[in-house]
Amino acid sequence: MGKKKKRASEKVWCYYCDREFDDEKILVQHQKAKHFKCHVCHKKLSTASGMVIHVLQVHKENVTKVPNAKTGRDSTDIEIYGMQGIPPDVLAAHYGEEEEEPPAKVAKVEIPSAPLGGVVPRPYGMVYPPQQVPGAARPMYYPGPPMRHPAPVWQMPPPRPQQWYPQNPALSVPPAAHLGYRPQPLFPVQNMGMTQPTSAPVVQPSPVTGVTPPGIPSSSPAMPVPQPLFPVVNNSIPSQASPFSAPLPVGGAQQPSHADALGSANAYPPNNSIPGGTNAHSYASGPNTSGPSIGPPPVIANKAPSNQPNEVYLVWDDEAMSMEERRMALPKYKVHDETSQVSSDLPFLKLRRVCFCTSNPFGRLYLYFSIPDPIVSVLRGTTILFSL
Amino acid sequence: MATFGASATANINPNKSYEVTPSPADSISSLSFSPRADILVATSWDNQVRCWEISRSGASLASAPKASISHDQPVLCSAWKDDGTTVFSGGCDKQAKMWPLLSGGQPVTVAMHDAPIAAMAWIPGMNLLATGSWDKTLKYWDTRQPNPVHTQQLPDKCYTLSVKHPLMVVGTADRNLIVFNLQNPQTEFKRIQSPLKYQTRCVTAFPDQQGFLVGSIEGRVGVHHLDDSQQSKNFTFKCHRDGNEIYSVNSLNFHPVHGTFATAGSDGAFNFWDKDSKQRLKAMSRCNQPIPCSSFNHDGSIYAYAACYDWSKGAENHNPATAKSSIFLHLPQENEVKAKPRVGATGRK
Repeated sequence: MGKKKKRASEKVWCYYCDREFDDEKILVQHQKAKHFKCHVCHKKLSTASGMVIHVLQVHKENVTKVPNAKTGRDSTDIEIYGMQGIPPDVLAAHYGEEEEEPPAKVAKVEIPSAPLGGVVPRPYGMVYPPQQVPGAARPMYYPGPPMRHPAPVWQMPPPRPQQWYPQNPALSVPPAAHLGYRPQPLFPVQNMGMTQPTSAPVVQPSPVTGVTPPGIPSSSPAMPVPQPLFPVVNNSIPSQASPFSAPLPVGGAQQPSHADALGSANAYPPNNSIPGGTNAHSYASGPNTSGPSIGPPPVIANKAPSNQPNEVYLVWDDEAMSMEERRMALPKYKVHDETSQVSSDLPFLKLRRVCFCTSNPFGRLYLYFSIPDPIVSVLRGTTILFSL
Repeated sequence: MATFGASATANINPNKSYEVTPSPADSISSLSFSPRADILVATSWDNQVRCWEISRSGASLASAPKASISHDQPVLCSAWKDDGTTVFSGGCDKQAKMWPLLSGGQPVTVAMHDAPIAAMAWIPGMNLLATGSWDKTLKYWDTRQPNPVHTQQLPDKCYTLSVKHPLMVVGTADRNLIVFNLQNPQTEFKRIQSPLKYQTRCVTAFPDQQGFLVGSIEGRVGVHHLDDSQQSKNFTFKCHRDGNEIYSVNSLNFHPVHGTFATAGSDGAFNFWDKDSKQRLKAMSRCNQPIPCSSFNHDGSIYAYAACYDWSKGAENHNPATAKSSIFLHLPQENEVKAKPRVGATGRK
């Protein structure tokens, strides 16, 4: 598996959304897919300004913001391509904690040392232990040590912001750091006390750190998730992805941000919103070895959707009630229950047969049914739902 | 009833499973095996709760009906007490009954709700019965007292619940999934929206309490871990689909020994899966009727499933005159339920 063991310093990241990537090629693909894509025809352009011009000329529309960009980074005037064009102050802020000088590849390099002083930007999640930031130039922030809190967090700010695809979110990290919550059966243990949650423990940036840096972990473990035959879905998988974008708006207290992150992390929806596209995308490009997709086996459902997506339909498609609720609406089961609400707000009558139906000049509808307790009239203003 | 010969019977029971008789008159809503012995309880839409003693010698099975109790309205769910002496059943009559069937006692009503009770479970660590109802509450009952020990408000109607002490997961309408740590039952540990985009149909907690499985009406199962550090292991997969039709996943059960699980759907099929290697271990043949519920026995040697109409195609497709409900017992082979290492993997993870 392609193991890119580059040490953090060479992480590339997207100016617009602060996500990190293992190499620039992927970063560029990401930018094209997320930030430089025409929202009308989905054509991928090569820069933000190119996209703006395309939309203006072809679709006659004015675009003022870069899509999917963080506020403050969504200006279409700045010419960004991969890691090139990033304004020095932003670059510095990003690398503030990195304290690495030589990012070697990529242009930005020059910045790092200089500005350092400032930092702690933590746009990403903090990873970097608050420590001494700059100067040190040693990678130390990385995995392990910083741990500020030994606490078993178990909450672990999971997703390490960004990237995650190669990364493995936290999982891999474990090796070193972490306190093992991993192994711990979160549940029974509970020392943390459920209430604790996010704020405190979370903070743990360390875990986070751990995650980001190692490009390593990425390749190796964990990944699996996506590809495997099983998942197909992608949406769910992303999970990790989401949080990162959310959090961190920088600013002080990592903790708070983390907490937020966690909070959001838990929720699925954010994940889903993460474009399924991206994920799929990432997986494809990720190291992932063995194209899982190919994967032999028995997995699942190759059938269905792929064939004719449009024609696929759910056999039970009523989101508002379960099969049992619908069944209970049948008079046979309802027995004497007309007056009580079984499950929904409206009393349900399953119409076997409407014998006939008339209305009078006052707009009152009369429906004659052949079920017990015939309903002779229905008042104006009530809603009758006929479910067929 | 092989009226037309082989093909007809083959469809009714293509897996040649043992059929438990007498079969209930109306659809079966839940099946539960005793945690101690091979006693199977089935609840049905014909208002009855029946129990059979299953005996097994080698590859052959026999069942003997033992007793039954009745409710006033269809019974939707059942649960065994952990000592294998008592069965709880609840349903559309909004009550839950406790039936000490081993001692031959009479059933006693132990719980009341304002709407049908859709799901229930016995909590061994606390000796309480948890019941979830369409009245949007979850109540905990000490069976000796008429009032619930605690009433928990849910965001919406409860559809399903699963307990693996101290983990409890409740699935409600509107795709909410609420996780409780039973050591602190009054607080929701976590509330998430289902990873699946469609109505939640069933949930079951992992035996090691690290997470849970959730199945939806859209032929999809989600594997969700609770610990944020394990989020990467979450995934969903599609199943129970046939051509253009997407069937609901009605039941999820973990094998008590191997940690693999079975899914049963409205397409009439049941499959065995391994979530750790992300493979399907075995796909069984489709019955001609949906499978609304299923259960493993205490040691995983018997898998019971019901084949009867689950209303997945509405009332129009229900013909009471010709509808048949069957309970089948399948003896899982080792290759069907034993976890397999991932094909082609180099043991990562």
